[in-house]
Amino acid sequence: MKKSKVFWMYFVAAIIVYAVIQGMITGGQLDQYYSNLLILMSINVILAVSLHLVIGITGQFSIGHAGFLAVGAYISAICTMKFDLPFFAALLVGAIVASVAGLIVGIPSLRLKGDYLAIATLGFAEIIRIIFLNTDYVGGAAGMPINQLTTWTYAFFSLLLTVVVIANFTKSRHGRACVAVREDEIAADAMGINTTYYKVVAFALGSFFAGLAGGLFSHQFFLIQPTQFGFLKSFDILIYVVLGGLGSLSGAIIAAVLLTMVSMYLTDFPETRMIIYSLVLIIVMLYRPSGLMGTKEITDYFKFGKRSKGGNLDDK
Amino acid sequence: MTNNLLLKVENVGIQFGGLKAVQGLSLELFQGELIGLIGPNGAGKTTSFNMLTGVYKPTEGEITFDGKRTNNMSPHQVTKSGVSRTFQNIRLFKEQSVLDNVKVANHSLAKHSIFSSVFRLPSFFSGEAKMEEESIKFLKIFGLDKYKDELAKNLPYGMQRRLEIARALAAGPKLLLLDEPAAGMNPQETKDLMELIALIRKRFDLTILLIEHDMGLVMGICERIYVLDHGQLIADGIPEEIRNNPKVIEAYLGEEVTE
Repeated sequence: MKKSKVFWMYFVAAIIVYAVIQGMITGGQLDQYYSNLLILMSINVILAVSLHLVIGITGQFSIGHAGFLAVGAYISAICTMKFDLPFFAALLVGAIVASVAGLIVGIPSLRLKGDYLAIATLGFAEIIRIIFLNTDYVGGAAGMPINQLTTWTYAFFSLLLTVVVIANFTKSRHGRACVAVREDEIAADAMGINTTYYKVVAFALGSFFAGLAGGLFSHQFFLIQPTQFGFLKSFDILIYVVLGGLGSLSGAIIAAVLLTMVSMYLTDFPETRMIIYSLVLIIVMLYRPSGLMGTKEITDYFKFGKRSKGGNLDDK
Repeated sequence: MTNNLLLKVENVGIQFGGLKAVQGLSLELFQGELIGLIGPNGAGKTTSFNMLTGVYKPTEGEITFDGKRTNNMSPHQVTKSGVSRTFQNIRLFKEQSVLDNVKVANHSLAKHSIFSSVFRLPSFFSGEAKMEEESIKFLKIFGLDKYKDELAKNLPYGMQRRLEIARALAAGPKLLLLDEPAAGMNPQETKDLMELIALIRKRFDLTILLIEHDMGLVMGICERIYVLDHGQLIADGIPEEIRNNPKVIEAYLGEEVTE
């Protein structure tokens, strides 16, 4: 029961972080600019963590994540704007429809491997975008105006849910099966793991949270347009995961937070923004070729003593 | 032969394009036997293993395991029906810990769902505890329990081989297929391995089919031997017969020069 104690410790810490920031927002110490930054950060972290499950844990190289973001964004926007559903329900519907889209895309394309899977997912994401572009019901290319409903509270608890679900999934027999698929698909199959099932599950779960992020995203920016969900957006998310270190949850979170800050501050220098952003990426990859965290988690750094007890190969 | 027939392979063959890799292969394995499958390089031994485990679908013939036809099963279904294997070139889950490698094979032991894992319901804790206990048991048999937290890729070669066997056992097989378990081992390690195979066979009541190039090992522990050459079965029998079979000698050493 020691493990559940640690869990509650994290939980309490998270609530404190939430309460402090919420207090500062209502008290006026954090202005609109910073609260928007925090919300955007949460959205990007949700996206990074959801793609981490697909690429980092299950090893399926998908670069169409923006497609599921778009599904979540549009569906939840339709729910609130056209059907007057409460925001909470809209977020949930958006996420569920996105995960169904993930199933529909995943079942045929996850038979492919590596580069071919990447191209297929990219293609599917473009199809999703083009469908929204040509649907007048959601405003077509002109976009769809949306009320701003996303608050720090929604963003934070969505983020918390995402991280808890994906971290717990990873540390269970299901997560281990996914890692085994990443490490060696043939061996995983030979050990009795239904590899197709786990690839599809990871993909659908990842899409679910991408859809959740989509709902928060669309209700943050007043207007959504299909151009916001192009393949460049997919690459942005991919960069968080790769830069953080493939297979590291905390790496994906750290990378998403850092890069959101970098790109937010760089909006003051529009001419050089993309150059500096690219330079940051190149420098990180030169000095940390396997990402900021490699495959380690931030918690690994706190248990050195415990690890050496497990027995070092050199002592024998 | 008082025991039951466990695996029956009838006239199995596979064709890759125009190449017939294996042809007319027939094997019979009875419960509890330890059988060797030998043959020169490229004879089709690993291909046969791949057909038995569902990696390749045979283009002809019938494979019946434990009364069930396994021809068209996918590998994880074959494993669940009770056939487990190791690989010629080690295929561990390199970035997972030694313990997790075994736990992956123990996957079906516990039944907790994704939902109960994600929300940490009681069935998650009991299921994971059961898997942990069971996996440690397998590691102990192979003397690997003290390395349980190491990454599999950091183990020395001989231990990686042992871990692969431990993992295969954890999948709960009735029939264990070992693809060159002693490849690259020194004589001492090979000897230890032979003892280990004898031990697990008794303890888990296993039937074992093994591919091996080390004739000392094969002749030493196998009760019967099948010999493959150019994709065809050329001989079968007890080690003594195989050793003196002219066809086998020819396959390994080439034809004797007459005249």
